[in-house]
Amino acid sequence: MTHGHPLTLTPKLAPSLPNLTSRAEFESFREEAERQWSSYSTPDAWVVTVGLDSSSIGKGAGDVLARVREQLAGTDAVVRQASGNGANWMEPWVEIKRPGQPPIVYANIEPSDVPDLLADRLGHRAIGVIGDAPYGDIPPLQELPFFKLQKRILLRNVGVIDPESIEDAIARGAYSGYMKVLFDLSQDEVIEEVTRANLRGRGGAGFPAGIKWASGKRARARPKYVVCNSHEGEPNVYKDRRIHEGDPHRLLEGILIACVAVGADIGYNYIGGEYPLAIQRFRKAAADAERLGLIGKNVLGSGKDVGLRIRAGGGAYICGEGSALMYSIMGVRGQPRTKPPRSVEEGLWKRPTVANNSETLANIPDIVNNGGDWYASMGTGKSTGTKLVTVMGPVKRMGLVEVEMGTPFRRVIEDIWGGMKDGHTFKGVQTGGISAGPLLEQHLDVPLDFDSMAEYGGMLGSGGFVVYDDTTCAVDYARYMMAFNRYESCSKCVPCRLGNPAIIEIIDRIRLGRGSEADLALIERTSKHIIELSLCGLGQVAPMPLLGMMQKHHEEFLEHVRDGVCRCGTCPIESRVTAVAAD
Amino acid sequence: MSHPSSQTIDLDVVREMMSHITYADHQEGQELILFALQEINEHFGWVSLEAAEIVADHLGTTVNRVYALLTFYADFRTAPRGDNFMLVCHGMSCYVAGSMRLVQSLRDRHGVSDGETTADGALTIQVVDGCLGICDRAPLVKLNQEFHGELTVETLNDLIGRLRLATSSGGAR
Ligand SMILES: Cc1cc2nc3c(=O)[nH]c(=O)nc-3n(C[C@H](O)[C@H](O)[C@H](O)COP(=O)(O)O)c2cc1C
Ligand code: SF4
Ligand code: FES
Repeated sequence: MTHGHPLTLTPKLAPSLPNLTSRAEFESFREEAERQWSSYSTPDAWVVTVGLDSSSIGKGAGDVLARVREQLAGTDAVVRQASGNGANWMEPWVEIKRPGQPPIVYANIEPSDVPDLLADRLGHRAIGVIGDAPYGDIPPLQELPFFKLQKRILLRNVGVIDPESIEDAIARGAYSGYMKVLFDLSQDEVIEEVTRANLRGRGGAGFPAGIKWASGKRARARPKYVVCNSHEGEPNVYKDRRIHEGDPHRLLEGILIACVAVGADIGYNYIGGEYPLAIQRFRKAAADAERLGLIGKNVLGSGKDVGLRIRAGGGAYICGEGSALMYSIMGVRGQPRTKPPRSVEEGLWKRPTVANNSETLANIPDIVNNGGDWYASMGTGKSTGTKLVTVMGPVKRMGLVEVEMGTPFRRVIEDIWGGMKDGHTFKGVQTGGISAGPLLEQHLDVPLDFDSMAEYGGMLGSGGFVVYDDTTCAVDYARYMMAFNRYESCSKCVPCRLGNPAIIEIIDRIRLGRGSEADLALIERTSKHIIELSLCGLGQVAPMPLLGMMQKHHEEFLEHVRDGVCRCGTCPIESRVTAVAAD
Repeated sequence: MSHPSSQTIDLDVVREMMSHITYADHQEGQELILFALQEINEHFGWVSLEAAEIVADHLGTTVNRVYALLTFYADFRTAPRGDNFMLVCHGMSCYVAGSMRLVQSLRDRHGVSDGETTADGALTIQVVDGCLGICDRAPLVKLNQEFHGELTVETLNDLIGRLRLATSSGGAR
């Protein structure tokens, strides 16, 4: 099976990995990996860990790691990398376990801080210890507000294991669910657990995975495929990327389990091409898993064959749409098609294809291990489990977190993200990526789940939220989102191709101060056409952010069209200004 | 992007790259067109017609088909880049932090819009709508391999000014 190719993104193969041929061999490999893992936490262990992901590397974490390596060369210290842990605000961070001490995490370490850090002169930068008990006056990391409200299941290993070490992952439980699926459970039993979990798709639409898997399994045509959608092209989401960067084996295990459960011959992972580190780490994970014998023919003697292919996108947002994604894999332009047939009937290469979002699939190993009922016990009745959420904008602690479904939005923004940065005033929070409208202060008590936000015109979507302050003009922001959709439209169908630019023309008129109240009605009419007549999900929701902004910030739109005033001073209102100048 | 400023594409290197791309059947060959183009684009910074022809031959397809992909996917370029390459993040964090002003300033002061190269060939920019992943440093650009965050119009202009100096004294062109 192909993993891609030995050119630019070559994974560093671990030549020491054995080829395992039975479950018993896997178990002894796991025991060895666990021994190695627990050696990091013996009382006199000396271990220095640096969190490296695409966010922290951009802030110099790679240089920090290099400095640590250089300084500790020739000592007994183990120097290792983990991924970032989602807390962007503490990057680059270093975790040091000195002999006789628990691991202590230091935040915002620059390369030049490393000598002082290692000489234990930066005690004031320690922000938390790993474990339940404080150490001196350093509190447990998990007691910090950013971590305390989280329920880290998907993120359990993120920032903990070295994402490029299959041994670390296996020591922490990776592939134990896959073993059950290969040897203990029938396909139907696996699907039954996923159904009981009531796991709903995390790619935006919230469709129950169990139902999709059951139809996938029922489909009779061969071969069958599983496609993991890791495209994530929305302008405000990076959760799937972080799973790839932080715990790629969890996702790979989810894909492999899906393949066995629905009887697919090959699983594909289609990763957004803008995320080189995600691609690189996932490739490495897959290459290692294949070398160990977890991918291929007759896996561990189970009689089951599972293949895997990794494909990277080319920077077209529309390729995140299921059918477009499959065309893209097939080497043509990624443009959606009408449905039916649904992809479980006719998908990739016209064969039955089960497509799920990465976060959906990353939930699978725990569901198999702990049972669907365990999963369904978290969250709310209709939205079970946890959700990865990112909040952007002028908040105090930006980052990626995992919360139980149903957590009140306000707690997430105020407690986890620490509320607004000093000097910034909350105006609203855009929800559902670019597919829904914003929520205002008075809506923030809504629980984070699939359905509750709809009442206020918001949407959980893929869990990307953008807080904006009173310097952001609602009209201009709406235009930004419309422009995104116009640019990313694949141009296949007329309402989307021509309707979105038409709306932008109207907004631009308003931004120039030449709009009238009739324009607002015209926007609504045109939007209705786009929403009702477009072929795919992009067009069908493209005007939603604009309509939401118009509804929530109606006054501001009126000010633009009636008074020729942009209260934020963002819009290039010219007619009135020149009119005034001419007076 | 090992050679962001390759003006010409060494077709022998392309052939060598293709020789590593093997496929079992027609179907897999089709699946690898995008990948092959990504490798070339990554290596040289762009894909020429001649390179596209080699890809088409190697993977058993037509050059029209290959060009259809090159012109659809935003990551590809069909003309050489300038000496430096800058991704301007225009994701939502960067937008709410003012990336629009950066994009406008690039256009007004340096005469470049998305996908264009400055007249002196020093800089090609690409505006990305997706997030570059370092939102807490918004607004941000990635210049060649380095990120520069918390930018204002002034600091961005300084950055470009320094770049021009470095490029002209380095005698790259
Ligand atoms: C324009 C558009 C873009 C999309 N982008 C993504 C994406 O980046 N990732 C994703 O998982 N789903 C995306 N989707 C949703 C997919 O079509 C599909 O519903 C989803 O991948 C199914 O997986 P799930 O059931 O696990 O959520 C997009 C849909 C549309 C209409
Ligand atoms: S709605 Fe837009 S993106 Fe979707 S098929 Fe039509 S033109 Fe393409
Ligand atoms: S939006 Fe620009 S880095 Fe995230």
